[in-house]
Amino acid sequence: MEEKKNQNDKSKSIHDILPLDLIQRILLRVRVKHLGRLKCVSKLWHSLISDPDFAELHFHRSPASTNACISIGKRPKAYSVYLDALFSDGNDTLQVREVSPPFDMTRSADVKVLGSCRGFVLFDRHPCLLVVWNPLTGSKKLISYSHILSRCKHQDFSRPSKFHLYGFGYDASQDDYLVVVAWQDMDDHDHFDGFSLRTNSWIDFDAALPNPLFGFDRNSFGLFLNDAIHWAQFSPKVYKDAILIFDLKERTFSRISAPEQLVMFSRGYSGLALLGGCLALYYRDFNSCSTHIWVMKEYKVHSSWTLYQVPCKVFQPLCFSSNGDIIGRDYTKRGGLAFYYHNHALYTESLLPLPSDIKDEDNNNNNKKKEKVHQVHHECFEQLDVAKGSKQRKRIRSQTQIT
Amino acid sequence: MGSPLKKIMLCSSEKEIFSVEEQVMVQHSVIINNMIEDGSYNYEESKIPLDCVDSKTLKKVIDYCTYHTHHHNDNQEDLEAWDAQFLNVDSNGLYDLLMAANYLEIRNLLDLIYRTIKNMIKGKKIDEIRRILNIKDHGFTPEEEEQNRKEYPHFY
Repeated sequence: MEEKKNQNDKSKSIHDILPLDLIQRILLRVRVKHLGRLKCVSKLWHSLISDPDFAELHFHRSPASTNACISIGKRPKAYSVYLDALFSDGNDTLQVREVSPPFDMTRSADVKVLGSCRGFVLFDRHPCLLVVWNPLTGSKKLISYSHILSRCKHQDFSRPSKFHLYGFGYDASQDDYLVVVAWQDMDDHDHFDGFSLRTNSWIDFDAALPNPLFGFDRNSFGLFLNDAIHWAQFSPKVYKDAILIFDLKERTFSRISAPEQLVMFSRGYSGLALLGGCLALYYRDFNSCSTHIWVMKEYKVHSSWTLYQVPCKVFQPLCFSSNGDIIGRDYTKRGGLAFYYHNHALYTESLLPLPSDIKDEDNNNNNKKKEKVHQVHHECFEQLDVAKGSKQRKRIRSQTQIT
Repeated sequence: MGSPLKKIMLCSSEKEIFSVEEQVMVQHSVIINNMIEDGSYNYEESKIPLDCVDSKTLKKVIDYCTYHTHHHNDNQEDLEAWDAQFLNVDSNGLYDLLMAANYLEIRNLLDLIYRTIKNMIKGKKIDEIRRILNIKDHGFTPEEEEQNRKEYPHFY
């Protein structure tokens, strides 16, 4: 009898013993890419992992960035790649998977990948649709901008595109996601509009526009960091104030100036990147035939600008790898022509829902979105131009710092 | 802080009493540290009742705290090897330790156990995870389970 009791004890399940908050804390430590699978373990785990509060907790405790990259190939198909894993040896986890964005992908030329925020990727889909989509959960929002396009001076979708600035960010004070666009009307008047995903409506931000605005090429995509969207400016007139910032809470603009050395010597920026959670300005250095990358190690601390050099003429930095290398894309062989293709964006995977999902969930509990995972073969590496040891992309150990 | 050799008494759910160096528990357990600091522990009479921790588990917890107090200068590799050996217990033993570490708020032990359970299920198929964690009743209806298996065959 005693023995039997012991045996019953032995077969106790984790659910019988551990309270929910301890199970939750175990799940918080699992990398987000594995959580979709763990939802199938039990109904309890399914509901723990599906909880929006869990998604928020998980997003804040997971390592700074998982360095996922979404990329649209020519076939056209979309892929999500773990850049870190791609370059680390002996890693058997699935590094590349095909994903299905929630719109017609027949012509890849009709789609631009514009950037990301908290696990959501923003696309511009011809002719007048902005799409916010979480590749991991499938959560999505389609936003029409036909009312803007009809008044817009530049209506073509080809490069450079209709908008001067695109931006996508999160306003924590309102728990709201905002997509913003700056554009010119037929009479050359500047406009700045934002779409709030919480109120599901467009907001006129014209009053916030700095004067003069357009030291920008068209098609400049902003990066979200510290509650604000950041764009690099290209015009020589505003060269010193290299980075334009739109604060999503205050709804105001401000600027960050470039490092002095950069203002004195360089001819033009190529762009702005986020490296390890820091802003980075990069440009081609014609003297050394290399790419200079200035990283602002501490946000808005001017003295923290630090220079990295990469021995490629036309190079786009994407992220820091876990061991501090710079992972990027080398366009030198293409003569730099493909540089402004918006066919990929870095994002941090999350299980976060959109404000509209939570409302939907209240209305209809069964309306669960399902993640689609397809195993893909190495052929997609070619699509992405990302291959280990490939000549197209290089992994470059950062060079000595010069300050 | 008391002198290093001062002892405190811990009482398990079976009412077995364990005498431990105060410093060992103060350094690791937030709860016991608070009790000593706010003076609610009386060295002459008190014993700290741990009604939800059985003797076997309490002994393990004390072993952990004692070892880590006296070996905190050891190199990381040796400590990790000792930890791995220490947690070489069945899943129920692990859950009991987790509950005790949670109750006593022993943060480094908690971290260690969370990490261990996470690694136990890392990269495993669903059926394997269920076996490892003894999950017999997954709570899905037969239809839901079938649907999941059909939709994500590579998970199982």
